[in-house]
Amino acid sequence: MPYALRRTGQAALVLVATFVLAFLLLHALPGDAIVARYASPELGLTEAQLDELRAVYGTDQPVWVQLWQSAAGFLTGDLGTSLQSGAQVEALIAAALPSTLALASLGFTAAVLLAIGIAVAATSSRAEWLRRAFRSLPPLFVSIPVFWLGIVLLQVVSFRLGLIPVINANPVEALVLPVLTLAVPIAAPLAQVLIRSIDDTVAEPFVAVARARGAGPRWLLSKEVARNSLLPTLTIAGVLFGELVAGAVVTETVFARTGLGRLTQEAVATRDIPVLQAIVVISAVGFVAINLAVDLVAPVIDPRLRKAVRA
Amino acid sequence: MVRTPSPRRAALAGIVASALALTACSASEASGPAAGADGPVSGGTLTYLEHQAYTTLYPPSAGFYPNGALVNNLTARLLHQDPETLELEPWIATALPEVNDDATEYTFDIRTDVTYSDGTPLTAENVVANLDLFGLGDQDRALIVSEAINNYERGEVVDDDTVRFHFSAPAPGFPQAVSTINSGLLADASLELDSEGFGPGNAAQVIGAGPFVVESEELGTSIRLAAREDYAWAPPSAENQGRPHVDAVDIVIAPEDSVRIGSLVSGQAHIARQVEPQHEEQVAGAGLEIVAAQTNGVNNGLSFRFDHPLLEDIRVRQALIAGIDREEVVTSIFSEHYPLATSSLSQTALGYAEQPGAYEHDPERAAALLDEAGWEVGDDGIRVRDGERLHLVVNEALPQPRSRDVITLIAQQLREIGVELELYQGDQAAQTAAAADIEQVQIYHSMVGRADFDVIKSQYSIDNRDTLRNADESGEPIDAELEELLREVASAPSTDARTAAAAAVQAHLTEQAYVLPLFEEPQVYGLQPAVHGFETESVGRPSFAGVWLAG
Repeated sequence: MPYALRRTGQAALVLVATFVLAFLLLHALPGDAIVARYASPELGLTEAQLDELRAVYGTDQPVWVQLWQSAAGFLTGDLGTSLQSGAQVEALIAAALPSTLALASLGFTAAVLLAIGIAVAATSSRAEWLRRAFRSLPPLFVSIPVFWLGIVLLQVVSFRLGLIPVINANPVEALVLPVLTLAVPIAAPLAQVLIRSIDDTVAEPFVAVARARGAGPRWLLSKEVARNSLLPTLTIAGVLFGELVAGAVVTETVFARTGLGRLTQEAVATRDIPVLQAIVVISAVGFVAINLAVDLVAPVIDPRLRKAVRA
Repeated sequence: MVRTPSPRRAALAGIVASALALTACSASEASGPAAGADGPVSGGTLTYLEHQAYTTLYPPSAGFYPNGALVNNLTARLLHQDPETLELEPWIATALPEVNDDATEYTFDIRTDVTYSDGTPLTAENVVANLDLFGLGDQDRALIVSEAINNYERGEVVDDDTVRFHFSAPAPGFPQAVSTINSGLLADASLELDSEGFGPGNAAQVIGAGPFVVESEELGTSIRLAAREDYAWAPPSAENQGRPHVDAVDIVIAPEDSVRIGSLVSGQAHIARQVEPQHEEQVAGAGLEIVAAQTNGVNNGLSFRFDHPLLEDIRVRQALIAGIDREEVVTSIFSEHYPLATSSLSQTALGYAEQPGAYEHDPERAAALLDEAGWEVGDDGIRVRDGERLHLVVNEALPQPRSRDVITLIAQQLREIGVELELYQGDQAAQTAAAADIEQVQIYHSMVGRADFDVIKSQYSIDNRDTLRNADESGEPIDAELEELLREVASAPSTDARTAAAAAVQAHLTEQAYVLPLFEEPQVYGLQPAVHGFETESVGRPSFAGVWLAG
């Protein structure tokens, strides 16, 4: 139990550090949101007028005061208003989150299925050339930029073949290509780790014993090898969450989907600090929560870890 | 406006025409829905692809194109400006305004039969409330003053159908200002909104008297406009005097260029804004029409900040102009829709005066001028004087097309004459912050679109954008003559005097080698063949009221 407590405490610390660091970094950039929105020369506002606007938005306060106000707001659930549009940050997030969650969860599920398929084919195909071909898929997938893949899929499937529209698509149609785009780069490291750990597990003495006692390859894979290969894969899955977030930014922009990724891209472009701050915190919460879950679940799956932890 | 049917489409039309001539009898039977040429057809939903989501619908901030596309179709204005001739005509006003001799008082007679889409009538009180807000702004609500309205003092309700506006100094640009989208009239309820209220997510609250109303909005993704059935007050010159031909317009955000163009070409949308020059061939090649709407203002170009020690010497500025090959820039980066600039103003702008021979490419002359100014070529090919390198920084004009490519090419050209040009790196906020500081940015890349004489003042006056950084630390003009000429443009009461003043400004800019105009920047749209009657307002924002879909 102290292990779980310690990990939870660490996770909370990571969140606080992320919040503060993100805030300070965003404030250290040249120019601010008032400059981004109002100082563009076409509006012709004077420096004095800009300062008045800064006072209206409270961005004229010292950084530490703003940090404190922002932190207090977050603790009470008030994420502030977007400096670019004036919309409530909660409303922006609430509008964007479901779409991104649907994309990310489906993308991740597809990635897992794809990875398992590749790993099984790469380790138990009959023909040597086939195994080799499947083994070379993960390095290939990992080197494909999400951006490029998305555009190629669109060009071929939507624009040339006309199978799925991008504009005014129904919700299911709208998800097919983005999910595929997101799944490929996530599947790659998953498959790589899975193949590697299946290889390692197959070389273990207990597999040789099981085989000697007459276990067939399918039984071996599903009963013995799978469970033992799961742990490294689970660990990497936690890390891949970051990849999922980054992938969402590109995927949503390419496919003109609404979501946290698009929101991020727009907020970065306009230096919209309250929105960025909220996105950073949400991503950090997701990242920390998943890794915490992985760490807490790992000892349950693998009894060897329980001893290691206690020692 | 320039309309260019693609060669292939023209050829196709020719073939079709001759085929029709040959088989006239049999063709008549199968010519059911091909009514496109016969006249407008009602109905249908137009899908329009936009590059970015809108940021606000507060009219004075509608200059940003995604905002402008909405405000232009949602609101009516007192006057209407013909995008071709740039002449003003009545709209909500029943006639052009009466003006006093020194252009400080404007009196409009307004229509009394116009209603807003929430059912409230458009009254004299409401018009005054609108212009008061746009002319004075409201700091507490973070609502800015309209750039187009200068010297505004107050509005006055004379009687039920007459309004008068008072100015503290001559404001000859006011009639044009009330025709722009920055003066789109709003219902009383919408005038109460603050900056947040005009922001994304609240589009339905922004109520105008234009041909369309906001039907629904999906934050950051799309917005649907519905035709206003009872719209019956189009400007007199409009072909469509009634409700819009289409039932609705879907404005869909597609930020990625290749996706926007791909969806357009594959027929998933009818119109796309911002067809980049490198995509024009793809669009035209597929039989689509390209519409390049002129923006009628200050050309896309470079302003040399003459108060910086490196640019103080006119010979250095002349050398920069002679060292840059504008034709190479336009032919290698852009297309025929980006004509080479012939003055700081575009040819279709009010007050345009050609500057013949002012921007000729002559690297030898450039080198000679720099030699003369004491800049000697150093070891690495960059010129040096008193130990200082001839190193200049230019901003990246992010809203303008391919600014990075333009600057990169110009930097290569200037290297040939021993000048080092650096592109300032950073996002919009960083670019804006750096551009305000002459120490950080010495050459400013920009353009302004606005179809009035005032546009040249907007670009160069110390009260406005001051792209040349002509204001010294105390806010006084360094080149007082230039500032005086610019004020004359904005305040001379007669059109002739304004034309003369604008010509004097352009001549002064040429004489002093302050600017190098590059090209006339259009707004480029791609249109499916089914789209008819597409027009833009005077600075290239789309108008959907006359559009019909057929074929």
